[in-house]
Amino acid sequence: MTGAEHDEYDCSRARLQLYQYLDGEMDPDDCAKISEHLEQCGPCLKEYDLDQMLKALVRRSCACENAPTELRMQIMARITTINMTVEFRD
Amino acid sequence: MKADQRAHQSASQTPTADEPVVDGSSVDGSVEPTLDMSTETPAERAARFEKDAMPFLDQLYSAALRTTRNPADAEDLVQETYAKAFAAFHQYKHGTNLKAWLYRILTNTYINSYRKKQRQPLQSDAAEVEDYQLARAESHTSKGLRSAETEALDHLPDSDVKRALQEIPEDFRLAVYLADVEGFAYKEIAEIMDTPIGTVMSRLHRGRHQLRALLSDYARERGFVVEAVTS
Repeated sequence: MTGAEHDEYDCSRARLQLYQYLDGEMDPDDCAKISEHLEQCGPCLKEYDLDQMLKALVRRSCACENAPTELRMQIMARITTINMTVEFRD
Repeated sequence: MKADQRAHQSASQTPTADEPVVDGSSVDGSVEPTLDMSTETPAERAARFEKDAMPFLDQLYSAALRTTRNPADAEDLVQETYAKAFAAFHQYKHGTNLKAWLYRILTNTYINSYRKKQRQPLQSDAAEVEDYQLARAESHTSKGLRSAETEALDHLPDSDVKRALQEIPEDFRLAVYLADVEGFAYKEIAEIMDTPIGTVMSRLHRGRHQLRALLSDYARERGFVVEAVTS
């Protein structure tokens, strides 16, 4: 495929599938097609770059936070209570 | 599964049609770690739950924070999630995706109790897919300058991203969170959110699109150069 061949259809199709491509949700054939298109098409590649950056940004910004210690203790206490109730009933 | 095993077994022996042939280890040699739920004592189950499910606590708490948008509600939600998960733990199929199973309970719990409390408008899924395709097609007309917009957004602080996530509708937020932070596959998100894959894709699309527009606004407020914003 040459630059001149890339037409509206390819671009709109690529735009529709960018997220699937980004999220690794494509079969290998479609993957190859879209990555070939991205190599040829500057505007689509820019769009993809931005999508990719946003995904990484969200991931980075929502780093895992430690649950409060009391929460862990409360959960364990509750499980133990349920557990004892069950045992008692049995 | 049963049919498979029957086919396998019929090579060596011929069981009668109504004779159950499944008994634990599979024929092809891959021995499933058998776990006899019926003989498991409550104490054993609690120990197994602690070992298998508790390691997800921090992740679930982080997700609950992003979902409920405040620490007190997040703690309640996680506590309720774990209580329900433990009560239903005998139903959980050993060897399947425990993390997705826990997220599903978290999501259901949130939808059933906290959503009402927070009085968030329900997102209508009607015409979502059409919107999604339209918006994607439209975005084609934008001549986004990659360097300017991408650069600007990439320099936003975490707090802006969290704020933007809180601004978007919860179904979108959850889909984006599950895909981008937790790295769940579409199929898993569909199961967690109990919705078709097409809806997951549409929520992801719309959520990311709104997020991007919000972040561009924030970047502009901060005086970063943002050109060619699409919305």
